[in-house]
Amino acid sequence: MHETRLIGPYDSDDVVAWGHGTPRTAGQFLADARSLAESLPDRSTVLNLAASRYEFLVGFAAAILRGQVTLLPHSRAPHALRRIADDFPGSYALTDRDEQREEIPSIPIQIRPAPSSVPRPTVVPRIPLDQVVAVAFTSGTTGTPVPNRKTWGALTAVARATGSRLGIKERDRVTVVATVPHQHMFGLESSVMLPIMHGLAMHAGRPLFPADIQNVLAEAPGRWMLVTTPLHLRACIAENVLAPPGGLVLSATAPLALDLARRVERQFQSAVHEIFGFAEAGSIAERRTIAGDRWKPLDGVCVIQEETSCTVRAPYLPDPVSVPDRLSVGSDGTFVVHGRKADHVNVAGHRVSIGDLNAKLLEIEGVHDGVFVLPDEETGLVTRLMAFVVAPGKSSEEILHRLRACVDPVFLPRPLVCLPKLPRNETGKLPRESVDEMIRQWKEQNGHDV
Amino acid sequence: MEHSGSSTIEGDLAELIVRTLKLKIDPTSIRPEAPLFGEGLGLDSIDALELSLAISQRYGYQLKSSDPEIKVIFSSLRALAKAIEKNRTK
Repeated sequence: MHETRLIGPYDSDDVVAWGHGTPRTAGQFLADARSLAESLPDRSTVLNLAASRYEFLVGFAAAILRGQVTLLPHSRAPHALRRIADDFPGSYALTDRDEQREEIPSIPIQIRPAPSSVPRPTVVPRIPLDQVVAVAFTSGTTGTPVPNRKTWGALTAVARATGSRLGIKERDRVTVVATVPHQHMFGLESSVMLPIMHGLAMHAGRPLFPADIQNVLAEAPGRWMLVTTPLHLRACIAENVLAPPGGLVLSATAPLALDLARRVERQFQSAVHEIFGFAEAGSIAERRTIAGDRWKPLDGVCVIQEETSCTVRAPYLPDPVSVPDRLSVGSDGTFVVHGRKADHVNVAGHRVSIGDLNAKLLEIEGVHDGVFVLPDEETGLVTRLMAFVVAPGKSSEEILHRLRACVDPVFLPRPLVCLPKLPRNETGKLPRESVDEMIRQWKEQNGHDV
Repeated sequence: MEHSGSSTIEGDLAELIVRTLKLKIDPTSIRPEAPLFGEGLGLDSIDALELSLAISQRYGYQLKSSDPEIKVIFSSLRALAKAIEKNRTK
């Protein structure tokens, strides 16, 4: 089999997406995608910035039908979009109706109101498995985003393997609700590809606040599946969110604490599963958090322990892919994750190299020395980076302003502290103890609990 | 004419924002009409979520993005303070 259907086993009047206006059926979806495909400009790459999951899906499908590659920016920050537009000349953006971007020529996605007549049965297009349909970006060692090409075969294989691991059957009455952006690999795989490959419905919105999540889960037709992150789950527990029992939670982007998983299982009366993955390979393994810390590779995925790191092989990956975390793989193929490789940190689901951030900081005129650090403790929902900077005559606002132009907002330091000098040792290194001491002193001076 | 209740909340809320989001600024330096997100203070959706929890705990007001006014509510310190004044339960 060298090609597969654009969408799974829907009848033409099965609902593909709820929310954001009337439900859209599979028949309407195919008509929407074809109609948009006909109006797309003749280009090879497109940035799909649609906020609605349904409109994103229509844009994604239309691009696939035209043989265009969808670029998945890891940030909507102007500099990030401009960077990608420069690297992929001729790109254009698909946006929501009311959004105009300055960085790149943009076309709003127009969905026509549903026709009153019953849509005629439509033939589902077939897509070659080796067609590159998306590019996900990871921050590279030099700070330049590295493109990771995704074939239709890889996306459909991951969606099917994830569904089968979670016990999802074709045409189950399940509505997939997601708090994660569909432009993120986990969001694309679990909240777009998984439902369309299995003939499930998706919720077109992206609930953010706990009260939103509660409303959407309560209204979701059939059984709900929540694609989310530890951050949103912690917020749901803090706000005592309730959900119809018997749903399914799928969390990724950061490890889920066992205690939090237990509380969510109890409060939602639903199973909580986690996905382990990274942009270069996509989702590779799953675990039910309360059942133990070992990850089970998805069907077809093989994780191999090598001397200094681990690699992943799968039939849909042209080459073995190196895992960015430290793992130990057991004889049965399951593995334990020990943490990130040195220098890499994860802030709210976004990975970055501290070395890259430091390099960008030092490029700023007037900055003599400076480091980003990730404090150890967990306060609030997400631990933000801090930065200690030596820049005589510059204010922290000036430096932050310059950083904002070249660093994703999620990595901007909270706070950026200006110091006369950094406590480097005689070899010029900054030992972790000195860093911890700097953090402690800053907190003491600023009235934070130490 | 400024409502005295909401201007008290403005000061209180500015402190809550700075403390919750660990911003290194003086709470009184937040301009009441300036945007909180994007440019302005440069806050993001994680901040919105974090802030919503702090507001719920302190004022007993649960923010919802389904609220048609949500963009207005989050547009500035003053708008957020007004929404809290109107909806607070503690």
